[in-house]
Amino acid sequence: MKEPVLVLDQVHASYGNIKAVKGISLTIKSDEMACLIGANGAGKSTTLMLISGILKPQQGTIWFQGQSLEGVTSEKRVQMGISQVPEGRHIFPEMTVLENLELGAYRRRDKIEIKQDLEQTFTLFPQLKERGQQRGGTLSGGEQQMLAIGRAMMSRPKLLLLDEPSLGLAPLIVEQIFEIIQQINQVGTTVLLVEQNAHLALMVTDHGYVMETGKITIEGESKELIADQRIREAYLGE
Amino acid sequence: MISMSSILSSRSGLILFFLCLVPLATAYLDQGDYLLRICSTAYLYMLLALGLNVVTGFTGLLDLGYVGFYLIGGYTAGLLMARLGWSYWAALPVAAIHGGLWGLLRGAPTLRLTGDYFAIVTFGFSELLFRIVKNEEWLIGGPNGFVNDIPAPTLFGYELWQYWQQYYHILILLILTLLVVYRLHNSRIGRAWQAISQDEEAAQTMGINLHEYKSLAFAISAAIGAIGGAFFAQFQVNISAGVFEFWESILILCMIVLGGIGTLKGALIGAAILGSLGEVLRISLSWMRLPADSRYLIFGAILVMMMRFRPAGILRSTQKSP
Repeated sequence: MKEPVLVLDQVHASYGNIKAVKGISLTIKSDEMACLIGANGAGKSTTLMLISGILKPQQGTIWFQGQSLEGVTSEKRVQMGISQVPEGRHIFPEMTVLENLELGAYRRRDKIEIKQDLEQTFTLFPQLKERGQQRGGTLSGGEQQMLAIGRAMMSRPKLLLLDEPSLGLAPLIVEQIFEIIQQINQVGTTVLLVEQNAHLALMVTDHGYVMETGKITIEGESKELIADQRIREAYLGE
Repeated sequence: MISMSSILSSRSGLILFFLCLVPLATAYLDQGDYLLRICSTAYLYMLLALGLNVVTGFTGLLDLGYVGFYLIGGYTAGLLMARLGWSYWAALPVAAIHGGLWGLLRGAPTLRLTGDYFAIVTFGFSELLFRIVKNEEWLIGGPNGFVNDIPAPTLFGYELWQYWQQYYHILILLILTLLVVYRLHNSRIGRAWQAISQDEEAAQTMGINLHEYKSLAFAISAAIGAIGGAFFAQFQVNISAGVFEFWESILILCMIVLGGIGTLKGALIGAAILGSLGEVLRISLSWMRLPADSRYLIFGAILVMMMRFRPAGILRSTQKSP
């Protein structure tokens, strides 16, 4: 059995009086590709923010590679190997594609290897190479999503957190991006994917968690979840 | 895109060379001292514009109370020199550090604020300071301030009170400030500021500590403002609250907007234009029997024209990148 990369143990979080996450537990194994699906407002993005350290849990512990993340700042987590692609891409609009990518490696000092990773990112996303000197804000939505993923990969993450990468993109582009995400996973990066597009997410991942109003209600192998009657009714529109 | 390296290139060297010659040329003119005074004032504003640009240009936070740090620097140096008999060369760095500390203090509660909310706090801060120095009689003389009792700095036994001495004095301070800000802008720190100014959330996911980098910008910006204030205290000999009104913050802000916000050249050019224009207008308006404050009308008109015809500043740089 593979070692877990990420463990959430009874984690709670809230915004003021509103409880967004109500005691969730999940385990993501090394090299696995997992997804967190659910309706809008179920607490999926909040869960990602708890893992990346932008938000602090009120209760419960998050473990990364066997180490508790309690009190670990978000910038330290980037250094430890947790990288997040935020929802809505959040490209630096006035910077060039190259500058955006270089900022992804902000916490790293190994210049030669950063250069190698840059080349690798460009082989993964050839479109970005062509647009190297173009400003991030002038890219199309799909290219911006690619840039956001490429930028997150520049920190050499062990765990890649993706928040709604299909949001607002044409089906063809989504397909392309998901293929690349699968490639990233196969090369050895553990991936946690948050998606509203449940069918797509379950198709490409190994393990799935379903979130409803701050709790995980169903979990299991993704291929079993696709067949699950409850999920078919609630999320796959049958 | 503006090449920042050109600041240190031979062309900049040439400009600097000519700037150093100015006092020699004006020595033969009737109005020579007046010209030197205009130049020195313009350099002072250039220094202040560089300082404000660190927060408003680099990190993208609108600071409407920059004059507060100018005031702190001026009064700190003024107090140390006039009341405690300190040498200017000791008072200057202490004023800078004092200003920087207030930059951090003002920054602490505003770290989570952006946009209008941040601007309002900065405005409140400088207004508060203004009211305090205007009404505090015992220590700093209330609205009259220090009257003719700030001594000139001395160097190797010479008192530096003549206009050509003041000219070189502020020119050197300006160049040192420019070097520091230039180096910062092109460093890792500068890139982090740039990232923060464009997207705070993304900057955070890149592993940039927002609080740390913003605080650093606040402190450096404030310290530069305070250095300007310390120079001003001995330059004017007497300083009083009236100099540090809210409009002064707006004027410095106009300078960096006029030149092109976020760029060093923009800040320098904008300040050179408005800084010298202000001094020229103050004299020429009184010739025309118009109140000196009507110069703000002209500044306003310039800004409106800028917004209409060159919204990205004289240098036309829409980039916040170097």
